[in-house]
Amino acid sequence: MSESTTALLEAGARDEQSVKLSMQQALNRALDEILSTDPKTVVFGEDCGQLGGVFRITDGLQAKHGESRVFDTPLAESGILGMSVGLAMAGFHPIPEVQFDGFAYPAINQIVCQIARMNYRSRGTLPMPITLRVPSFGGIRAPEHHGESLEALFAHVPGLKVVSPSDPHDAYHLLKYAASRPDPVIFMEPKSRYWQKGDVDTSDAGPLTGARIVRPGRHLTLVAWGAMVARCLQVAELAAEDGIDVEVLDLRWLKPIDAEALATSVGKTRRAVVVHEAPLTSGLGAEVAQLITQSCFDTLKAPVERVTGFDVPYPSGDLEDEYIPNIDRILLGIQRVLEYRRG
Amino acid sequence: MAEISFPLPDLGEGLIEATVLDWLVSPGDQVERNQPLVELETSKSALELPSPQAGKVIRIHGAPGETINVGEPLVVFEVPDNTAGIVGTVPKDDAPKRRVRLSAVLDED
Repeated sequence: MSESTTALLEAGARDEQSVKLSMQQALNRALDEILSTDPKTVVFGEDCGQLGGVFRITDGLQAKHGESRVFDTPLAESGILGMSVGLAMAGFHPIPEVQFDGFAYPAINQIVCQIARMNYRSRGTLPMPITLRVPSFGGIRAPEHHGESLEALFAHVPGLKVVSPSDPHDAYHLLKYAASRPDPVIFMEPKSRYWQKGDVDTSDAGPLTGARIVRPGRHLTLVAWGAMVARCLQVAELAAEDGIDVEVLDLRWLKPIDAEALATSVGKTRRAVVVHEAPLTSGLGAEVAQLITQSCFDTLKAPVERVTGFDVPYPSGDLEDEYIPNIDRILLGIQRVLEYRRG
Repeated sequence: MAEISFPLPDLGEGLIEATVLDWLVSPGDQVERNQPLVELETSKSALELPSPQAGKVIRIHGAPGETINVGEPLVVFEVPDNTAGIVGTVPKDDAPKRRVRLSAVLDED
């Protein structure tokens, strides 16, 4: 067999493992596989059972895996997360859902005071292998409490890990990975990206920890996560028209943050803009800017810029295009960095 | 395409079942939200049940005269995979629009 034929066959074999899925379908498939392979897993939340979730993420799972493993809960997030604590203590691997980001607030006590520190409090005898799925961020014209960005809140709590996938491939693999961890993981699903399809290679996850370069570039690094990654990729294409070669770094893990990936990328490009939907003040962009400054202070061409939501409550759907960083606001952030001259 | 099952909803007043009087739609019909689906009779009254959503009807349960319990399947819809959740809309992936242009002299030192 010639070398090229072998290469073609290998490419073919890989293609069979690669399927085009929306993030919605990728998450559904991941949950199905987790339930099939780990008998200790239970999936539950408001409308997760019979209805299959308001975003169809748990569609068909109750019919397949039974009402004792995939079930509906009352409309009480403190109960959903409180029950998760008990289930985890009893040896289960709960994958609860809070239906929307803003509904996590009533469960903050259970998340912060119990889930995050039970392992610490019990000297390692009561780990909390809980993966909390939170449909997150804005962009779908939903009412109040349905478009919040809670990553800085969760990342601030010792004992929690926080991750947000930006495409179907990462959504599929990161959910399976998160569910296999002994620690609690807040899994932030960018709900405005639920419907866009992408290639999911089910056989080759690639690295599951740390950040990921989604577009290499030489002049400036855009740091983003969740739904902002796709927007930053659009911005990078537009910047290329103006001769600016932008690197896009998908942070993925928001706790712990991959400081090494930030140092490597910005060490090369010497300019950075961090983009997030959450409000500016005490947002995760500040943490990212500090990590970059710490490692790249001597070579940075300009202070790290932040392009973010505003310090106001998340607005109604009619105004969210003004709130979420848009292409022009990100381009202006890039321009400010490019223009900066040391005084 | 995805299938969504619509079970007989709780009709209130402690009713636990209803009898099908007449179907107003057939499998294959494309229905709009709030379009009447079926005439039902309970021990209290006769009523028309509106559709909870738009979609294509692919199965109906219960012939006229048959009784269905609350929570049992009534209608199964077929909807496109990219149908929005119950809250919100599916964002459009429009071609990116820009007004800002970048200008920079990059000193490659």
